[in-house]
Amino acid sequence: MSDVATTRTMSAGRRELFFSNLPAGAGTASMVGGAWIVLVIASTLHRADFLSYQTLLAVTFTMAIVGVLAVAQALVGVSGAILDLSQPTVLTLSGAVICQLLSMNWPLPAVLFIGVVVGALWGLTNATIIVAGKLNPIIVTLATNFIGTATMFLIFQHIQAPITSPLVAWGQGNFFGLPNIWWPMLVLVLLVGYFLPRTRYGRHAIAVGGSRFAAQARGISLRKTRFAIFIIAGAISGLASIMFVASNGPFAPNAGTTFQLPVIAGVILAGVSLAGGRGNLWLILLSVGFLSTVPTSLVFFGFSSNWQAVFQGFILVVAVSLDGWRARRLLR
Amino acid sequence: MTLRTRRLATIARMATATSIVVVASATAGTASAASFTLGMAIGGEPSQDWQKAQGEVAAALAKQRGWNYVELSNNADPAVTTKNADIFIQDKVNAVIEFNGSPAVNPVLAAKFAAAKIPEVTYDIAQPGFYFVGIDNQAAGLAGGEALGNIAKTKWNCDVDLVISSEGQGAGIVNTWRTGGMRDGIKKVCPDIPAEKWVSMEGGGQVAVALPAGRDVLAAHPDAKKILVVGINDSSVLGVLQAAEQLGRADSIIGWGQDGSFITGPNVDPHLAGSVFYFLEGYAVYALRDVIDPIAAGNPPPVKDNPGDPASKVQPCPVSAAQAAKIPDMAGRVKALLAAPAGTTEYDLFCPKS
Repeated sequence: MSDVATTRTMSAGRRELFFSNLPAGAGTASMVGGAWIVLVIASTLHRADFLSYQTLLAVTFTMAIVGVLAVAQALVGVSGAILDLSQPTVLTLSGAVICQLLSMNWPLPAVLFIGVVVGALWGLTNATIIVAGKLNPIIVTLATNFIGTATMFLIFQHIQAPITSPLVAWGQGNFFGLPNIWWPMLVLVLLVGYFLPRTRYGRHAIAVGGSRFAAQARGISLRKTRFAIFIIAGAISGLASIMFVASNGPFAPNAGTTFQLPVIAGVILAGVSLAGGRGNLWLILLSVGFLSTVPTSLVFFGFSSNWQAVFQGFILVVAVSLDGWRARRLLR
Repeated sequence: MTLRTRRLATIARMATATSIVVVASATAGTASAASFTLGMAIGGEPSQDWQKAQGEVAAALAKQRGWNYVELSNNADPAVTTKNADIFIQDKVNAVIEFNGSPAVNPVLAAKFAAAKIPEVTYDIAQPGFYFVGIDNQAAGLAGGEALGNIAKTKWNCDVDLVISSEGQGAGIVNTWRTGGMRDGIKKVCPDIPAEKWVSMEGGGQVAVALPAGRDVLAAHPDAKKILVVGINDSSVLGVLQAAEQLGRADSIIGWGQDGSFITGPNVDPHLAGSVFYFLEGYAVYALRDVIDPIAAGNPPPVKDNPGDPASKVQPCPVSAAQAAKIPDMAGRVKALLAAPAGTTEYDLFCPKS
């Protein structure tokens, strides 16, 4: 073997040793965090007033709902169900129920509880169809999303919470300088990110996502896990709908579609594998933070808002490519 | 087989994806009235309840005249729209009214209807050979812009820091006319607002799109304290007003919308100063009065297919939030319209005269 080849082999070995000693997701964290910092520095160099409280509010408001939905989506992804494409419907369906009950002067705690339950029931419906029919979750959730949105259009065109509702006042307010709706997102990401790899059910979800056959051999029920994941993910989407109703004003049944792209991009960029079994949910804070900064930054650079979808789509392509690269690296 | 059953059978065969309402001919009416059939293709966008109401008004007016009436929904789909044209032709309707949100297929429809010698009225979207009935969107924009400009003049002496135009580019030329008209209206009252204070953003005609985009635009103008917002519709303006609320700048902003969809009811945003009503649901009054009635009487008017010189012009109605509180909701307006003497428009009934 030549000296050059030996050196290359050694450096490759050191690189693998280096990666294997890093905490899970450290590479992704440094990459996404680095991109975020570069974006902030570039925007600030372009316009110094980018670093303002107004920017912070704009970014954190954008992060809040996307972040909560990303947690739900990440749970589905980690468990091997790839993606839940019905999130836009559960967001507006649960939101519509909340608006309707608030208009009927139901007590707020009951309304919030029902909002979360509606989300969980939606997840239960998805899981039942997937498990009973042994169907691909992506196809099922795509179909239920169409059904749900179309059905809502038959019932209402626009709906909103009464502007005098305390929920709306809460949705516009701040706590410690940041939007009220941002804090539940932070708490949720931290809690789910902490408990997912540290609890029995969390480990079951990861195991099923990693290898359903190996998981079944260990006595883990794929059915139960799938039901649990979709119900929890639905309930979390129900939580997102509370925040949506509180902060969005009137909305149409298809209003949730605007969240689909950033949520999926955020999950993949956070290193949650679409193949399942892998993902550090804490990194959602970084990925969603980065993705929420991009549109604000684009405006500071003078790009029209039409460019936002172009950039988000581009970032999604990069994220999917990275996901594939990570998967191939693990197989080597 | 009666005319009605034959029509139902034909439609049922052909219109698999099309919602259909057939209103039978009224028993009253003259012999010539009973033989006249009006076709109506509604837009069919589920989020636009006024499109359904357009059909309800046309059906009621046709019934008042003793006409047969065939209604199809275009389902906001070009293929369904084209198929509907075939159904109208097969049904031998005497005239067609269409709100077609897929204008790309209008030349196809025009060729089909011309070959079948069926006159067509188009609402708001012009097509050579079709009678144009609709709003002058530029005039509607201008009226709203002037109203907002007057508020800016009174409140801030036209010393405005930022004018945000929340566009809906998917609507094409209609967006250009409405939002451009609103900007022109503001300039008419406040001609000295510098060019760099005018900003456009994509609001998509929805609060959910305009809200995050509005947050970003406001964040990029942190020092703006006196802000005006215009948009293609009420939703696109509301999104920006909501964004200002979230960034703690609600008291710095005033908006004026278009279409009147969020200026009535109990949940009007206090910073939405007004909107421009078109009373879209009542367009059939104009179409029947100025085009279809003369055709039915055997005196077809000359085809006027240019929005600048339309067959019938719908008047825009700028309404402040205070005035809007006195205007009934759409169901109430339709009821009042149908009870009014023939030819009365919603503008006549509801538009504030001062």
